[in-house]
Amino acid sequence: MRSLKTVALLAAAALTLTACGGGDEGGTADGKVKLRFSYWGSDARQKLTEQAIAAFEKKNPNIDVVGEFSDWPSYYESLATKVAANDAPDVMTLEIRGLAEYAGRGALADLTGKVNVADLDQQVLATGSFDGKQYAIPTGVNVFAMFVNKPVFDKSGEKLPDDTSWTWDDYIKLSEKITKAGDGTTFGTEYTFNQVYLSMFAAQRGEKFYDNGKIGVTPETIKAWWANFDQLIKTKGSPDAAKMAEIAAAGVEQSLIGTNKGAMGMWWSNQLGTLAKVSGSELQMLRLPKAEGASTHGMFLQPAMHWTISSKTERSAEAQKFVDFLVNDPEATGILLSDRGLPINSKVLASVKDKLPPADQQILTFVESVKSELAQAEVPPKGGSKMEDIVRRYSEAVTSGQQSPDEAATKFLEEANAAIAG
Amino acid sequence: MVDSLSLKPEAAAPAHAPAVKRGRGRPRPPRGSLRSRREAWAAHLFLVPWFLGLFLITIGPIVASLYLSFTDYSLLDEAKWVGLDNYITLFTEDPRFWTSLKVTTIYVVVSVPLQLGFALGLALLLDRGLRGLSFYRSIYYLPSLLGGSVAIAILWRKIFGADGLVNAVLAIFGIQGTSYVNNPDTALGTLILLHVWTFGAPMVIFLAGLRQIPGSYYEAASIDGAGTLQQFKSITLPLLTPIIFFNLVLEVIKSFQSFTQSFIVSNGTGGPTDSTLFYTLYLYTKGFKDYEMGYASALAWVLVVIIAGLTGVNFLASKYWVFYGDSK
Repeated sequence: MRSLKTVALLAAAALTLTACGGGDEGGTADGKVKLRFSYWGSDARQKLTEQAIAAFEKKNPNIDVVGEFSDWPSYYESLATKVAANDAPDVMTLEIRGLAEYAGRGALADLTGKVNVADLDQQVLATGSFDGKQYAIPTGVNVFAMFVNKPVFDKSGEKLPDDTSWTWDDYIKLSEKITKAGDGTTFGTEYTFNQVYLSMFAAQRGEKFYDNGKIGVTPETIKAWWANFDQLIKTKGSPDAAKMAEIAAAGVEQSLIGTNKGAMGMWWSNQLGTLAKVSGSELQMLRLPKAEGASTHGMFLQPAMHWTISSKTERSAEAQKFVDFLVNDPEATGILLSDRGLPINSKVLASVKDKLPPADQQILTFVESVKSELAQAEVPPKGGSKMEDIVRRYSEAVTSGQQSPDEAATKFLEEANAAIAG
Repeated sequence: MVDSLSLKPEAAAPAHAPAVKRGRGRPRPPRGSLRSRREAWAAHLFLVPWFLGLFLITIGPIVASLYLSFTDYSLLDEAKWVGLDNYITLFTEDPRFWTSLKVTTIYVVVSVPLQLGFALGLALLLDRGLRGLSFYRSIYYLPSLLGGSVAIAILWRKIFGADGLVNAVLAIFGIQGTSYVNNPDTALGTLILLHVWTFGAPMVIFLAGLRQIPGSYYEAASIDGAGTLQQFKSITLPLLTPIIFFNLVLEVIKSFQSFTQSFIVSNGTGGPTDSTLFYTLYLYTKGFKDYEMGYASALAWVLVVIIAGLTGVNFLASKYWVFYGDSK
């Protein structure tokens, strides 16, 4: 029996120290220049992307583009590991949040003057620059808006609000009324802790989320923002905190709008197609409500993704050619359409306009109708990729009653400022 | 402690194991003979793949992570030496470190005794000469194989969700439940339950231990008039303490390193509001999501020290309660 002690000791030592490792695979080139290209997304996106790659290879027979595809949850983990192993793909897809993380650490090549950007929307293009250098070219844009599920909304007998003038109070009261009018299974709205919502809410009150290397949002604004959720939960305009957390975690398809159980909800415009498809209902886009007396909705065009090139690549010319093809060639956009946001190349967009599916036509119409109100998107500083998690965490703490808004606001600002410092 | 480390074949094998025969059956060639050297050479050759793995994917990264824990390595650029900064930040300026430690400690302290108690209870039941024992043993062992898997974690999300099985059952009695995995007050409880549910592995070890207690002890005890409870207290429990100790050490270490459950059930966030932020999940988040691999390495080493310390305490304390039959 004493031996068991030995075995326990050995097992203890082994278990304590063992960690798991991962692998990586290589590839071969047959006289062609091999270009590695990483991106994330759904199966549908992979198919489209492979088609676009084939079109590019046809035009450039000496280049062999190898798509490195992964699903979204593991994308950054695997990309960061590749970069760490000095094995970065030549062309990488990043989001605006990843830009400063990668560019700020010297992982990206400066594309100023390397890719033709003459026909691109210059205001959106600016979101691809960091420290005055153009490290990234936006793939397309999204706008954050209020979606309305028309059949659910109309059933309540309420009238659609005038979205140029409605306030947050209007929105909360309307949500309450719609829930009350329903049979108990439908809600007026679902809410989101998306950081962009807080950004726009703050912009309406004249505050920037990031302001000179600090968080520009005041504690009062954050508390006012949290009060919105609190009101919605109390008045049953939305489901309670635990239920909402569950819905948010389940993804787009399980959302209230998507399952015809909610009349309103805030989403990025590129979700319109999916939501329309899964719900089978007519959806409408509205401007977000405004703060009392605010002069702006705080709306802006957010680049859906960025094309970037690794600073370590030995195939810069080919990589630039590929990125150029993706943003400027009508053939590429003809295949990809608005899968990575509405194209920002005006000439290309005009040539594919009629081919866009109905949902994208709808987004385009909406974007054109709000064009004069759009502000510039913010490029988050280094450390900005932590912000989504921080915002969500404190918002959860407040809505579930774990922390008082006062305490949470102080701690939120502390942690958020620390995240982007240094 | 020291004598327990000497691995004599006679001592290492339980009475009925075939290993004993092997150890005694073959005469050993004298040390230094040609044959023994050739055998040693062959043995080393066969061990090479294992050593390669040990050094390249276990020891190597362990040493590297010790170095990285003193740097500001971000995964994306070169590591710069920062001395003890990571460790100082960790202990003085990082509330989430303490949160994750607290969550993990609660998880271990609550779930391990529950799990072991459950395992022991079932082992005692199954040991009463039940018909179809091997069938039950397999059935109860199954959760141990599955418990750490992604599929079960997803299943857990469903069962304890707002529209899950638990609430469906409660609804029969007119009780309206919440979404347990998304409620900060109950989320950790669901993970503890998941851990207790994987009682199969320690149960099988308990069963083996129970089989080793000679039946004559019980006979003698019953002749002396000892009841079932008395027998359990005076015979079963003391003779089983080495097994309990073995399971305890193993389970404490394993549960301190739990990751999958909280990663999947909380969607990788440790939420709601960090109520399921396991230590390893926090470490992972720091390393791969926040690009602070140096800091994550420091976290890993603090965990090594914590687990090693706890295991040490476990071994020291074992002197006072673990009874080895051969050490009177």
